[in-house]
Amino acid sequence: MTEVGLVFFPAFDWAISPDHPERQERLLYTRDQIQEEGLFDHPAIREYRPRLASDEEILRTHVVLPSLETVTESHRIAAGGTIAAADLVLDGLAKRSFALLRPPGHHANRFVHGSRGFCTLNNEAIMVDHLRSRLGPDVKIAIVDTDAHHGDGTQDIFYNDPGVLHISLHQDGRTLYPGTGFITERGGPGAYGQTVNIPLPPGTGDEGMLLAMERVVLPILRDWQPDWIINAAGQDNHFSDPITNMGFSAQGYARLTEMLRPDIVVLEGGYSIESALPYINVGLLLALAGLDYSKVQEPHGRREPQPRAITDQVARICGEVAELWERRSEEDLGKVFGEAEFFERRRQIYYDTDNIYESQQEYIRLCRACPGWRAVYTQSTRVRQVAAAVLLPWKPCPSCRQEAEGQYRQLAAEGRFQQVVWQDPARGRESLKE
Amino acid sequence: MTAFMAGIDVGGTNTDAVLLRGAEVEALVKVPTDPKDLLGSTALALEKVLEHYKEDQPLKLHLSTTLSTNLIVEGRGAPTQVVAVPGPGVNLKSLNFSFPIIELDGYIDHRGREAAPLNLDQVRGLKQVLGGTEGEALAIVGKFSQRNPGHEQRLRDEISQWYNGIITLGHRLSGRANFPRRIVTAYLNSRIARHQLDFLRVWREVQGSAVGEILILKADGGTMTLDACAERPIESILSGPAASIMGVKALTQCTEANYLIVDIGGTTTDLAAVVGGEVLFERDGATISGYRTLVPAILARSFGLGGDSRIRYEKSSGVIIGPERAGTPVCLGGEHLTPTDAAAALGLAQVGSAEAARQGWQAWGESLGIDGDALAKEVFQAFLRQLREAVEAFYAELENMPLYTIREVLDPPDLRPRAVVGLGAPAPVFVPALAESMNLSWEVVPYWAGANAIGAAAARATAGITLQADTQLGKVTVPEMGWRGEIQRPLFFDLGKARELAEEKTREHAGSLGYDASGEVYIVEEESFQMVRGFRTVGQTHLVRTQLRPEVFKVRGEAK
Ligand SMILES: [Zn+2]
Ligand SMILES: [Zn+2]
Repeated sequence: MTEVGLVFFPAFDWAISPDHPERQERLLYTRDQIQEEGLFDHPAIREYRPRLASDEEILRTHVVLPSLETVTESHRIAAGGTIAAADLVLDGLAKRSFALLRPPGHHANRFVHGSRGFCTLNNEAIMVDHLRSRLGPDVKIAIVDTDAHHGDGTQDIFYNDPGVLHISLHQDGRTLYPGTGFITERGGPGAYGQTVNIPLPPGTGDEGMLLAMERVVLPILRDWQPDWIINAAGQDNHFSDPITNMGFSAQGYARLTEMLRPDIVVLEGGYSIESALPYINVGLLLALAGLDYSKVQEPHGRREPQPRAITDQVARICGEVAELWERRSEEDLGKVFGEAEFFERRRQIYYDTDNIYESQQEYIRLCRACPGWRAVYTQSTRVRQVAAAVLLPWKPCPSCRQEAEGQYRQLAAEGRFQQVVWQDPARGRESLKE
Repeated sequence: MTAFMAGIDVGGTNTDAVLLRGAEVEALVKVPTDPKDLLGSTALALEKVLEHYKEDQPLKLHLSTTLSTNLIVEGRGAPTQVVAVPGPGVNLKSLNFSFPIIELDGYIDHRGREAAPLNLDQVRGLKQVLGGTEGEALAIVGKFSQRNPGHEQRLRDEISQWYNGIITLGHRLSGRANFPRRIVTAYLNSRIARHQLDFLRVWREVQGSAVGEILILKADGGTMTLDACAERPIESILSGPAASIMGVKALTQCTEANYLIVDIGGTTTDLAAVVGGEVLFERDGATISGYRTLVPAILARSFGLGGDSRIRYEKSSGVIIGPERAGTPVCLGGEHLTPTDAAAALGLAQVGSAEAARQGWQAWGESLGIDGDALAKEVFQAFLRQLREAVEAFYAELENMPLYTIREVLDPPDLRPRAVVGLGAPAPVFVPALAESMNLSWEVVPYWAGANAIGAAAARATAGITLQADTQLGKVTVPEMGWRGEIQRPLFFDLGKARELAEEKTREHAGSLGYDASGEVYIVEEESFQMVRGFRTVGQTHLVRTQLRPEVFKVRGEAK
């Protein structure tokens, strides 16, 4: 068994558009550096091919509108490559694995009307649901998203899912896309407290990131005891990144990886393609394989030490997050979500990459026995007619299953929707026909 | 006038030699190899084959030797030091090289830019650490020196002022990216160079009498001159498997684009794959005795299964063959039963005494309580089964080669063979049965037992380069030639221009090595990217890897 299974897929023939950050060139210099450092060839690291994600694998997690035809092959390969990376660990071929591929996924919500923040399919989420389809719904999976942007898509997909703990460390949403990820966002009624956001001030460097790891992330993980740890490894918090304002370095990244000891790492963003990605990825691979990364350093540019004020600010935020985590089981959910039969949520979602607006209405059945079934109504500037979906959790109680089935049949009979989608991750899309 | 050619392949057990008259085989001889006197064995084989040569014209000779391979495997050669310019990155000390490395300051980045200069005080200080007598050797290797050989060249200029030993520069050996492999390749090249020179001196003396020009076979199946071999002796490693595969290319009638080459010997079997008419190469380079190098090499996998392999019988699992050698088969007067004895006893091959083999199986069968004939059959089936498993594992490995484009993932290259082409003494016994069990057509090439020597004789000069252009920096580099030049009109330097320049440089390189540079220049690999900075295209980067592809020299003969 090799230490690290690497699914490297740079998609050298694909771009969102020729001068878009998500272009052919993005992982070219990373490939050059890994190759020159001899890491594709290192006995502790073994490279594997990606594959295409199937319809079933995608639709277990997503509702794609108007249909799956809008999803390009590049997205299917990125999602399938991430699944392939998970299978390496699951099948005992590698101790850990790294899906070093593009395009990224963590801004993709459960409902997909187009591309947001360069993401169409949520690679990690599809992979997490794949893990559960193989291991059963009781497996506990923690996702730690270290991208500079809030992992809003992944948060959206799992925010009512008690099997997943989602921790996102990111540049404060008041200063960066997508403008969310505040500590008050703590999850839905079925998984309250399991959405953990750690918004960091602009200028946070290695000291701040590692402080947050030590003070909050690791203690929470020790407390929750996940079976699997996934790292959504965005690399745009690097000091040289052109679209963010953070001060993280390749050394910091490697140290974070060593502390977190993730089972599976998935690349997210990161657009300093020459000055950051090559060195972060070399450091990350070495740390993941348990090798010496002490000499990894960016040859161009130096990181400014983190100002004291920022360190204090990070420490304060960490304190608040830790306290919320401690208190999570004492919260009165009735106060947060109301005492009605359903909790209602209305949202407007902007798809910046494709310039699409979506408006969404969601009803979660408040249930004591399970996280509750959900009904979602959505329409967008691309899909103007409202589409409806009835979603079951991984482990619905019998009465929720029954109610949801009834709701689905009723909505389907009404005939006024663009389509009515049935999502049953544990039994599959065909479960209603049985 | 028809040209005569001689080819010699010095193998571990036998040395094969051939005399070709045009496409006709005039003589094929085999002498046992004396591992302690390779030169003697080679000379004997040459002498025997020259007995058939009556012309006045000096004869051209192609030589495939195990000298460099043996030097490496046996850990011999000159005392060799390595000076490296690693810059930041993987800690060289953590890679556990079997030799010490002196690390210097300085760094060339992935674009070939100098990110940190050499420290000249440090360089001058090397005089105290390095020897520098004629018997010593040195390798100078920088990270990304294939993108900019400046540091390596500067170091050579400084050090060679007082250093008298052999110096190898990493960038000259390969244009591929892989710093640890570049270090190993340059180190080995320097280490074996002196011994190789001694060996070449002998052949230079032979040259000019009956023998005219002498060329040395390389791991990529091409030939090189003695001068080129003196500079890059490392390229002559593993020429044995290459000779066999070139033999197949010269002799086969197979018209399939994809086929499997199976070379069954006494101790081992080698597998190689032809895809789209071309033999597959190692992605990075040859591996020899645990050393991973950048030496361009035919991709061949060897495993311990051959005509003389040891056979074990276990109640639970039945017959297991190999991987070690048993020795001479019983039918040829040996003591241990081998797969060859199974073939002899079953009447599948005329080797030695079939009766002796049959008695052997009878006796062993009795002790196991099995019919002797049935046991021989079981051995034959086990041989086929193990061979088929090795073939499956071989293609599984090939099919795990990474794919970096959507086009390739959607339509992966088809590597699977349509036919099996065999060689080696036991090939006629096992290859047809192997192919039939895989539902493939088959061929055993003419002269299957001496095809390796024919391959050596039929091989032609090969030379390749790696051209890397960066139009934003206005630089173009061909490391194999130690050349880094300016791009005159960067805006117009597209992939087409890069290809043209690569072809020109390939011919120039081949010419400087003393080769016939008139063949087709074939593009092995190419890449081209737009470089965009801040939503603006600032340049392009092109990589073109070429190979001078000589015409395959065909040799006539009766296929089995
Ligand atoms: Zn990001
Ligand atoms: Zn319920």
